[in-house]
Amino acid sequence: MDAFFNINFLTELLLSTIRMATPILFVALAETYSERAGLVNIGLDGIMSFGALIGFLIGYKTGSPTVGILAGALSGIAINMVYAFCTIHLCAPQIVYGMAINIFAPALASFIYRLSFSDTSTLIQGVSMKALPIPVLSSIPVLGPLFFNHIPLVYFAYLLVPATAVFFNRTKAGLNFKAVGEFPKAAETLGINVIFQKYLACIICGALAGVGGAYLTICYTSTYSEGIVAGRGFIALSAVIFGRWMPSGVLLACLLFGFCDALQIRLQLLSPSTPYQLLQMIPYLCTLFVLAFFGIRKSGPKANGQPYYREER
Amino acid sequence: MKELLRMEQITKQFGNVYANRNINLSVKEGEVHTLLGENGAGKSTLMNILIGLYQPTAGTIYLHGEKVKIDSPKAAVKMGVGMVHQHFMLVEAMTVLENIILGSRKDSSVFIKKDQVRKEILALSEKYGLDVELDKQITEISVGAQQRVEILKALYRGAELLILDEPTAALTDIEAEGLFAIIRKLTGEQKSVIFISHKMREVLSISDRITILRAGETVTTLNKEDTDGTQLANLMIGREMVPSNYKKVTATGDEVLSFQNISYQKQHKHSGLNEVSLTVRKGEILGIAGVDGNGQSQLAQLAAGIIAPEEGTVLLKTSRVSRFAPNGFILSHVSHVPEDRNKMGLIGNMTVRENLILKATEEARFSYGHGALLKNKAITKFALEMQSKNDIRCASIEQEVRNLSGGNQQKVILAREMENDPELLIAVHPTRGLDIGAARYVHDTMVAARDQGCAILLISADFDEILNLSDRILVMFEGQVMGTYSGINPPIEQISLAMAGKGN
Repeated sequence: MDAFFNINFLTELLLSTIRMATPILFVALAETYSERAGLVNIGLDGIMSFGALIGFLIGYKTGSPTVGILAGALSGIAINMVYAFCTIHLCAPQIVYGMAINIFAPALASFIYRLSFSDTSTLIQGVSMKALPIPVLSSIPVLGPLFFNHIPLVYFAYLLVPATAVFFNRTKAGLNFKAVGEFPKAAETLGINVIFQKYLACIICGALAGVGGAYLTICYTSTYSEGIVAGRGFIALSAVIFGRWMPSGVLLACLLFGFCDALQIRLQLLSPSTPYQLLQMIPYLCTLFVLAFFGIRKSGPKANGQPYYREER
Repeated sequence: MKELLRMEQITKQFGNVYANRNINLSVKEGEVHTLLGENGAGKSTLMNILIGLYQPTAGTIYLHGEKVKIDSPKAAVKMGVGMVHQHFMLVEAMTVLENIILGSRKDSSVFIKKDQVRKEILALSEKYGLDVELDKQITEISVGAQQRVEILKALYRGAELLILDEPTAALTDIEAEGLFAIIRKLTGEQKSVIFISHKMREVLSISDRITILRAGETVTTLNKEDTDGTQLANLMIGREMVPSNYKKVTATGDEVLSFQNISYQKQHKHSGLNEVSLTVRKGEILGIAGVDGNGQSQLAQLAAGIIAPEEGTVLLKTSRVSRFAPNGFILSHVSHVPEDRNKMGLIGNMTVRENLILKATEEARFSYGHGALLKNKAITKFALEMQSKNDIRCASIEQEVRNLSGGNQQKVILAREMENDPELLIAVHPTRGLDIGAARYVHDTMVAARDQGCAILLISADFDEILNLSDRILVMFEGQVMGTYSGINPPIEQISLAMAGKGN
């Protein structure tokens, strides 16, 4: 237990928290955009899986992690367009189609993986992104390595938080976007193209969730394995509710979940005698508790989850 | 005056149904043009075409003499057409200011320039006397203020033609007067207003010209000077309407419902009751007058057993009520026509047939074993009887009740509530949103029930309805009883003062 009070241990723990929170943050922000436009997308896990595979594959083929990440984003958009078309145009139930993506996309990802690497049984090593220390700032003791010595994608994720906040609260486009999730008919009568905004939301959501998936295979491990997403999409989903649909709240929620994840890995190392499955439960238990306590008072966008019929009598 | 808008031969079909058929409408600059018609006459469809929400099946629209195609609300906004919908199109989670600038393309900046926008809006609001608090959330302001926000929204977008859809439905008389003053200012600036209403008194006071629609077609357009309320009503419903004149009675029968010093959340002036005492006798209508939101909803819910009082005693047929649950009240023959028919009175996704027996599923005539197995044949027979007896107009009794017009929905509720010979009927805003014909049917049914010996507690924000029907009138203000007056030659002025909280 002395190890707990070790400064190195704590720094490592926090560093790991930031890294672990990054993919969840991408995906939670993805969902924030989606739900702000009234689309509850529970297919995040599926989009992530697909983004993880395509990111890994393209990164491996081209040797460039950046291209891999971009491919992950594009593949996320592609998969999410299925959801978008069905829920926006056909007004199909969002939960059902989200679930369909969760079943369909990981299976498709595994299928493509096997097609591509059918001749080897060894684990393929893909590319990985290199850290980009920020000059001067990264040499500050403790804080430097904690905040300023990461791969570019981590900076990008955390910069997305204030950017999203500014978008929603300070810009006209953000105001219009939010109105679609609150009261689409009102938005329509004010000349806002509701269908376009909803598609936009799906594009942003698909891209960010795809990046979140690709992060796992390019920045976290550099291999692809089935089940690599491990329910992170659902954790992100609850982070949005816990974070009250606000970027700052979502960030806090993601850091909490990231912390739990980092903690359980550290605890596994500290206490090898405890069954690791027990410790692995920590992030999910945390999600359960958080949802039980904070998910009760339902706020959030008013027209969230409802289909929008344009010419309704 | 120059012509601003002309709609020619507008037709709109939904499937096989014509919502509009060859409608013509012409609006001049600076005039208030009223569209008059019963529910389902096609007013809303026509206006939705004008603001680009619907596309007409046929017909042409001219603005300033030029043929235009309004293919989206965006196009309508650009052409200077603005609409204040009956159910406000306001985003509750946003502030007044945000709602006004939502979707506006006044300048091309990415960010919201709050200070500049605020100046512009304040200038507008001063010009037309539209008083609003820009930084309040929509949920924090009154209905009247929300309406002013809607008008400002349209003006901010440069509307020259403003459509007001039943703007006074949710307003108090004083607020309505304020609205009329605003409308006069607008027309003074050569802006045109299309006014939709079926309150004859308002129509006659504010309109310049009146176009009457019936069953999706134009009947005629009249100048206000050339017509009167009776003619308009007759044109609207397509037959002679005999003015209603119900006989008032002084009941001496048993007390059916009695409240003794009832309090419920009395610290809330607009959603509580403070030491309320009242009685309703067999064979009388007690009308509760008052501006909406002075405790009437709570009064109705208490009388129906939905909520329990915090202090005081409720006597139902002279026995003290100890347990407040709707079922017990229903078994004591208390019927309830609730204030919001869609939220409380009906289950929209269920059929007319199912809604008609909701209260009686456990009875032996409709099921075996107290609701274990429904007797479908008996239920269908019953529903068909109810349908013809109450003139419920629906495609079939298997139609989902949410697809019925407001009037027919109310008839379904009334049929269900009157069917078991109630001893007490609680009717809350029973004719809200109904057209003249349907309202008349509801009133006739209530008076007939009274004459059969039913005690009726009528709660309404429509003062004319209260005066027309009540044998006694009780006025509520901020959760308190301001006084009780006779319904025979009621002292109207005194009652009006009491409704505003003034008086003894």
